[in-house]
Amino acid sequence: MTRLQRSKVCLLRNDRIQMTGHSQAQRHKWLAASCSVMAVAFSVPPMRSVIEQSMAWHMVFQMPLLVLGGWLSARALSACFSMRGWASFNQFGLTGFMAAQAIVAYWMLPSAIDRAVVLPSVDALKLLTLFVTGMLLADAFRRAPGALQLFFMGYWVSMMAWLGMYLVTTDLRLCNAYSLQSQRNTGWGLIALGIALGTIWAASLLRKKASHTP
Amino acid sequence: MDHPSSQTLEVHCGPSLGRTFIASIAVLIVGLAVLFMATGGGQSFTTETLRRQQVMAQPQRIDAFDVTGPSGNKTTLNALLAEGKNEGGNEGKKLWLVDFVYTRCQTVCSSLGSIYQQLQTQIEERGLQGKVGLLSISFDPVNDDAAALSAYASRMRMNPAIWQIATLSKWQDRQRLLDAFGIMVLPAPLGEFEHNAALHVMRSDGTLIKIMDYLAYETALDTAIAAASSSSYSYSSSVAGHDSIAAQQGLSATK
Repeated sequence: MTRLQRSKVCLLRNDRIQMTGHSQAQRHKWLAASCSVMAVAFSVPPMRSVIEQSMAWHMVFQMPLLVLGGWLSARALSACFSMRGWASFNQFGLTGFMAAQAIVAYWMLPSAIDRAVVLPSVDALKLLTLFVTGMLLADAFRRAPGALQLFFMGYWVSMMAWLGMYLVTTDLRLCNAYSLQSQRNTGWGLIALGIALGTIWAASLLRKKASHTP
Repeated sequence: MDHPSSQTLEVHCGPSLGRTFIASIAVLIVGLAVLFMATGGGQSFTTETLRRQQVMAQPQRIDAFDVTGPSGNKTTLNALLAEGKNEGGNEGKKLWLVDFVYTRCQTVCSSLGSIYQQLQTQIEERGLQGKVGLLSISFDPVNDDAAALSAYASRMRMNPAIWQIATLSKWQDRQRLLDAFGIMVLPAPLGEFEHNAALHVMRSDGTLIKIMDYLAYETALDTAIAAASSSSYSYSSSVAGHDSIAAQQGLSATK
């Protein structure tokens, strides 16, 4: 299918959806766009000062929002581009999970966070890679069986909880860009985020299972 | 098959599992390589430890800065560091322990101050005056004028033969000074600052050779002397590395 044909299909689908009146896909697009725009806005003045001063807003709000923006965008635009070429390298979403894992691990490094605060080029890289992480994860979760999802979710939730506890308890300032108090707040935020993500994931898995069982 | 939603229903088997496996391993290797490089070989997870690791691997020549002392005397940082050489016509001061302060500080600098007092006593007791000097540099030239420095010097009971204090003559140099040493200063409540504090070992030729945790002050003198004697061998080859740390420390260039 050529690019032109694909975009036609995309447009046609959108038109059809719009004509049905109640447009869930349209709503998804708005949600994806607003999440992404809001996340990016935190890297641009005047909002930038918020993430420059607060590690919690940076790590517990902006970074997850970028991933969410990427995730929702991938869902909303799934009709517009084909992932077929990628799919054969990404069975069960394994490669997507691995890439997401590497990107997330990098942005948990205190030195990487410092660099994103002071160097705009590194911050741009952060925006791009975390957005892509969201897209990869949306695709990967669709393909992965529950056991593989559990493996990665278990890892991320425990990593967030562990890092969160460490940030809450240590007296060592890890980021030169942030105060110790800001670091403690981030720790609590990460613990809460880990619990929330784990709960949402488990609930959605149970719901899916319930809907599949007659 | 042209309908996009049908793609999700495709079942892959055989060759694609192999391809997935290879792709996953490739992603894993690239990811680990990036993490390895970003952490200085898996050793440094914070900017502070990276900075220390880098200085240890490659001594850094610090640029020229105009500074002012507590009596209002104007000189340069390099001249101040080189000063010890002339003393008594001996080999002179080999190295300095440099720290960064602002005199209004109530928190970390006051503990640094008492650490410097203990180091001063150690130097006196061990007769190391000709070998090691202490230098406190204020990064707050706007508030710390000569009078403030002189008040701080008497409050800390500084012995000027061992312990010197100076601030920048031009406040415009502040960011350049902080970048050169890799210090990041954050405004804190009540007009205070929060910053990464450490002991910077410098030679009298203006080269930064080691950064130590200030909590390790009890052994700081011996560590500094050991570092100075081992660094003299690697010095000539390492000066060229200056630009690379300038780029790394450009970290705080936009703040």
